[in-house]
Amino acid sequence: MPESSLSISTSCILSLEMPYSEQLCIRRTVYRGGDGPRAAIVAGIHGDELEGLYVCQLLADWLEQLGRDNPAGLAGTVELYPAMNPLGLDTLTRAIPVFDTDLNRNFPGGSSGDLPKRIAHAAMENLAGAALVIDIHASNIYLREIPQVRINTDFADSLVPMAQRLNLDLIWLHGAMTVLEATIAHSLNSIGTPCLVVEMGVGMRITPDYCRQLMSGILTLWKDLGVLAPDVELPPLNHLPLIADDSNVHYLNAPTSGLFVPVIEHWADVRKGQLLGNIVSPLQGGVLAEVRSPVDGILFTLREYPLVYEGSLMARVMARKGRLS
Amino acid sequence: MSSRDLVLMTAPLREDFTIPCHEIGPMAPPVVSFVSGLHGDEINGIYILARLADFLKSVESGAYPKLRLVQRVLIIPAVNVLGANTLRRAWPFDQSDQNRMFPGNQMGETTQRIAYTVLEATKKSTYRVDLHSSNLYFEELPQVRIYDPTPEEQENARLFGLSAIMERSVSPVFTTTLMYSWKYWPGQNFLLQVGQAGSIQLPHCQQVFRGLVSFLGRIGVLEGVEVAEADQEALYFTRECSVRIYADRAGMFVSDKNLGGWVTKGQELGYIYDSFNGNVRTKVVAPAAGLLTGIRRQPMLFEGDLLVRICTKGG
Ligand SMILES: [Zn+2]
Ligand SMILES: [Zn+2]
Repeated sequence: MPESSLSISTSCILSLEMPYSEQLCIRRTVYRGGDGPRAAIVAGIHGDELEGLYVCQLLADWLEQLGRDNPAGLAGTVELYPAMNPLGLDTLTRAIPVFDTDLNRNFPGGSSGDLPKRIAHAAMENLAGAALVIDIHASNIYLREIPQVRINTDFADSLVPMAQRLNLDLIWLHGAMTVLEATIAHSLNSIGTPCLVVEMGVGMRITPDYCRQLMSGILTLWKDLGVLAPDVELPPLNHLPLIADDSNVHYLNAPTSGLFVPVIEHWADVRKGQLLGNIVSPLQGGVLAEVRSPVDGILFTLREYPLVYEGSLMARVMARKGRLS
Repeated sequence: MSSRDLVLMTAPLREDFTIPCHEIGPMAPPVVSFVSGLHGDEINGIYILARLADFLKSVESGAYPKLRLVQRVLIIPAVNVLGANTLRRAWPFDQSDQNRMFPGNQMGETTQRIAYTVLEATKKSTYRVDLHSSNLYFEELPQVRIYDPTPEEQENARLFGLSAIMERSVSPVFTTTLMYSWKYWPGQNFLLQVGQAGSIQLPHCQQVFRGLVSFLGRIGVLEGVEVAEADQEALYFTRECSVRIYADRAGMFVSDKNLGGWVTKGQELGYIYDSFNGNVRTKVVAPAAGLLTGIRRQPMLFEGDLLVRICTKGG
């Protein structure tokens, strides 16, 4: 019987001099168990999104506990990358500060070139070949999202079966035409390393319930893949995803500017014509526009930041299409 | 009326906002469209187009007896009005890049609605010119950029009389830019890159202003313009003759060089200093002889940042 152990180490995948005296380091923590497959969690690509950081914390705690109680339970390797854009997190900036560029539009990057390209390249080098990468996003500061996986239809065959095990509420399939090719997910999936993109909650906040829900799903998938041993006990799955695509998602854009005040909770069943909220005038009082559901369905995106300009997205409603069998 | 509002939109807490434009010349669809300020911090273009509007209105009112505006010109000095007023590159309200919202959508997000309107207003002009200014960090020699150009565009890029013409391929990454959307329509498209964002570099602006007037003269929109022969020299650079120098170290880049001069191979262009202890880390030298067409002005460097661009002759 081989001695079982679980080693934990933190290191830099990229270290770079900054303009004045400091060193920039992209950190990861590696939990090494047996010879089984390797899985990774990526978070903090956008500096204003914190939900994934908390998921990393929950997983780190769980893995540490596993190391004490059942070290042989980690059959493979887990890597956590909670802060891919550390300068953005430092400065509460979505993009990479100074470069003013979205890190998630710089993949696959390059070993030379500017900072965003180098971070992207280091991420690709380290993640390539993993059995599964999960890239966790938190919408933005404007919109609250239910826990969901977004999948490009090009990779749907291999990714949807995994996404169904993630304990989330929605799988949103995006047509090939809307693909953002420079994202980490597209770049990894293109080289055969499966990557699932999770969107949930809202920017600059954490939603602990969503984070725990996702954690259960991640652990389940890790067990499915053999990263965790079959005997490891996991919290139960209690969510089954609905399916959304271009055919059943309706966007509600503001017809006028004002303060959007919802009259309904996020993530509710709605009827066609039902009032979801009002656009009101802080200047003169009164209701400028009523926001009503265009269909029977489920409200899965709701505006969190109340000021709206003409055109601002306030909500998305998904007509029911059933669950995947 | 020579000014009108392209866009009229409500605002939550103040007066409605508009994107005003100038339409100058005989009543007809505009033959030339000038656009600037898609990025709110690119002030050179806004200044140049505002001055051009003033000049053309003076021409129209008879202030220049030798000049006659014979076709209509559309001028939008600043598309990102809110950004220009708050010194932001992006659309301030949701931080989106107005030049990544084309072709736009009448029913979509605010910036998609603006994009739709700007494209509608300009797409049928025979000549379309979009002015930009690099960013807050980098200064560009005033230049005409043409993207996968037609022979007409290659020929007419010279009519601006600027010293550099740069040919570029249309990158699939930029399918959402105004330039990309324009390419779908018959007509000719030019992008002028002028100086650095965040301030006005007056010599660049004066040069480009003269260039726009020459251009209008040479395409027959403005009659009576006298063009000096010396103005007509332009160097044509394909992508291959662009030599770039990147920072091999982090630190502070300091240079006393001006754009538009010729440098020799091995010539000193600046220094990278350790910004804590002041040591020279790297002496930056020209790797080839050529025209200095771009230089970094924001000194704080990360490793790998672009420092200088030189265009070599005979490309
Ligand atoms: Zn994100
Ligand atoms: Zn620009």
